[in-house]
Amino acid sequence: MQSANLLLKKLLRSSVLPFAAQHGMKKDLFPLSRTLSLSRCLKQDNSCDPSEKLDLDGWKKVMKSGLQEAVSETVSEHKELSTLAAAREILEMWRLAGRLVPENISEEQLKTYIECPSKSAKKKYLKYLYLRELYKRNNKRKTDGKRERKLESQEEASKSDETKRNSLVCLWANSMDRAYSWRLAQSMIFGQPLVFDMSYEREMSAREVANTVRQLVLSEGCNRRSVDPFHIHFCNFKDNSLYHKEFIKHYREAWGRLLITVTDQCYTDVFPKDKLIYLTADSPKVMKTFDHDKVYIVGSMVDKSIKTGCSLARAKRLGLETAALPLEKYLLWHSGAKNLTLDQMMHILLTLKDTGDWKKALEFVPKRKYYGFVNKPVDELKKTLNLINTLKLGKRQEEIRKQFAKNYSKKLTHK
Amino acid sequence: VQPPEKPLQAEEWNRLRESFQSPEVFEEVMFNSMLRCNSPIDVAKSLLTHVAKSNGDIAYNLLVKYLALCVQQGQTSEICDVYDIMKIKFKILEGGAYNLLIRGMSNSDQWRMALTLLEEVKKIMIPSRTNYESCIKAAIRHQEMNLAFELYHEMLAKDVVPTLDVLQAFFDFNRGMKGAELQKELFGILLYLRENQIYPHKTFMRSIKLWFESIPGGNWRGHLTNITDSGQCPVCSHQLEDCDLTEEEYNNLRERIIRDVIHGTDTFRKTSPQEFEAFQTFVENRLPFDIVIDGLNVSHIKPRKMHCENLFDAVNCLAKENARLLVLGRKHMLSNSSNWKREIMKEMQNKAHFFFAENISEDDAFLLYATLRSGKHCKFVTRDFLRDHKACLSDTLTRHLFRKWQRGHQIAKSEKVFLSVSIQQPALPYDCVVQTTGDTWHIPYKDTFEEKYSYQVPRKWLCIQQKL
Repeated sequence: MQSANLLLKKLLRSSVLPFAAQHGMKKDLFPLSRTLSLSRCLKQDNSCDPSEKLDLDGWKKVMKSGLQEAVSETVSEHKELSTLAAAREILEMWRLAGRLVPENISEEQLKTYIECPSKSAKKKYLKYLYLRELYKRNNKRKTDGKRERKLESQEEASKSDETKRNSLVCLWANSMDRAYSWRLAQSMIFGQPLVFDMSYEREMSAREVANTVRQLVLSEGCNRRSVDPFHIHFCNFKDNSLYHKEFIKHYREAWGRLLITVTDQCYTDVFPKDKLIYLTADSPKVMKTFDHDKVYIVGSMVDKSIKTGCSLARAKRLGLETAALPLEKYLLWHSGAKNLTLDQMMHILLTLKDTGDWKKALEFVPKRKYYGFVNKPVDELKKTLNLINTLKLGKRQEEIRKQFAKNYSKKLTHK
Repeated sequence: VQPPEKPLQAEEWNRLRESFQSPEVFEEVMFNSMLRCNSPIDVAKSLLTHVAKSNGDIAYNLLVKYLALCVQQGQTSEICDVYDIMKIKFKILEGGAYNLLIRGMSNSDQWRMALTLLEEVKKIMIPSRTNYESCIKAAIRHQEMNLAFELYHEMLAKDVVPTLDVLQAFFDFNRGMKGAELQKELFGILLYLRENQIYPHKTFMRSIKLWFESIPGGNWRGHLTNITDSGQCPVCSHQLEDCDLTEEEYNNLRERIIRDVIHGTDTFRKTSPQEFEAFQTFVENRLPFDIVIDGLNVSHIKPRKMHCENLFDAVNCLAKENARLLVLGRKHMLSNSSNWKREIMKEMQNKAHFFFAENISEDDAFLLYATLRSGKHCKFVTRDFLRDHKACLSDTLTRHLFRKWQRGHQIAKSEKVFLSVSIQQPALPYDCVVQTTGDTWHIPYKDTFEEKYSYQVPRKWLCIQQKL
């Protein structure tokens, strides 16, 4: 079998080379008909000086002359292509064609790419990888630059050779960490619990899970740094789930040392039912004040394709009380969904816990989503907005009517 | 940048390049503008020569752009040359280059080359619909009907949706041809339109008409007409198919509505199991209804009026005909408020059956269920297009069934005009698809090429009948 393959390869090699050679010869032997047409073109154009005649097909010769070596290379590489290698080659061609495709792609990413169900999904995934690569490269450039500058300044400092005296040993980061941990440990005994419901894995794509975990890591971080942290519970947490894998990616060994409670139990098993409040944007009830005796539940879910009623369904099934943030009441909403990211929720809840001031807490809602804070009652504002809109629209309508009348009279005169 | 009108020397290109603000992308930008202005091909060649001589190589994207220019101007021999160069230089090409090559080749006398290219594309991906379009059109143009149909069937087998242009080409180029096999294939295309609820546009319709009339010995005659509201064709006085689904389709649709729309991934998202069960027993005990009304939707028809007044008008108007009514609403309608007066609600409950869902439940799903459960004669009243519910259905076939059923059973305006300004047509008694009885064909068509909302159905028809 192998020998047959070898033979085939040899045949291929020997058959391609003469073909290429023949091709080259043909060019030299027959002055192509195209050059003929060119000369005719030149005759017509008298302004063109014959001395500066252009060899318009010169590029073809250049392209083909460089091929002789290239051909022998490609032939020696010629193998039976696996699907992965084939995909890699297509990607390379796309990159050459100037599409948004990453330069380097790992085996794993390539597999995900092949498994994408449609052409557009593939395109999207590639663009995502491309942008990520771009960000990484830019970041690396920046950090490299910083490091160099730092080294330079250090050298200068060492030249000047000046020892500084300080009463405190520089151990800030370490001691800060210890202080935070102390506070967290306290909150784990005395603090108010905050539950993250980790039961949404089935509703999310792998990328959404990754985003969720990122947001959770951020919220854990800001909880740790706060003055009076929550006692965080991850409920319905299954070992070896996607969530778990992503967490390990982020925290590595530190995952085991985190000062939070992780359990596969449901929150209804951990806490009395009447103390639980499920926070969801779909809730018909609006939160009025922050209750320090209740246990709030936040669904750990990122839904890029907004799936309404998912978390509300959870609460309904278990018969829990629900609540939504009073966004409408305090903010004049502009655009965007009312669901916020997990770290924003964390910021808001922490601020509420510390101060109970809604205005301060809702500062953490992204600015692009609202026009401003509501000072007057909302109804009044809405009325003025409506008035403005109708005035605007009314004017526009009149304009359209005028335009129409104009066109119409034109048509009539044409007739 | 304005491309030059004549081929330039290397120095001239260099000068131009240096005067350009970002020289790295100069060639690309220049080629783009050449494409836009459709510059003579010699200009592009001179630029390529310049690039090749200064770099010793030409980047793939420049080659593709040059190829695009050649295709745009139909320079077949150039296309072949570029293909040769690409073929030796790169192991495979990407979709964009293949698209251009196939398009360019199929319009030339070397159109068979396009077919081999199509084979190459198949090795690396599913060819696009335009690839197939070019090849099929080329085959049709050269009277290779078997090949064309082979490609067409292959395309359908791969779930690639054919363009209307291709379908039209089949009719255009077979005018006056004879052959039972051919006729069968073209009828097959018409049935494809029927199954996918596609409406041909005016020029396509004309091609169909001309083809029918040109069949030798077929004696087909086509007329443009409007179908009456009752569903009769004024030309041949044939009664069109009605909107009713078959028993099997009907049951299928009902099952799917329960499974996909009401339950979905989680019954609690739209209702709760207890509530749905309660609703089911409620409906079973009072079957059948004639009209099911979406109470909240109807109550918002006239914004100046009180909500319950609107509903009251609608119920009154519909109740006159001795119909069994079901009004769906939510519990908050029962609490006495400025919009919902208790006395009026009481009075209405004497005239119609009422079911009040929880305030956070979705009543539309109940509306669909109740109507479907009552049987084929039952209609429903709402101005909602129910698109989100249609979207819950997972496959296109069921969606088509839903659309068809919705067309026949949804009322947004009664004949008695209680809802002043209408948004939608009244329920049509006939089905709006391509249909045949063997010796007649009725084909709905769009007046203009694009303008049609998905919920609107065309009112113009082509009636074709065979005179024996």
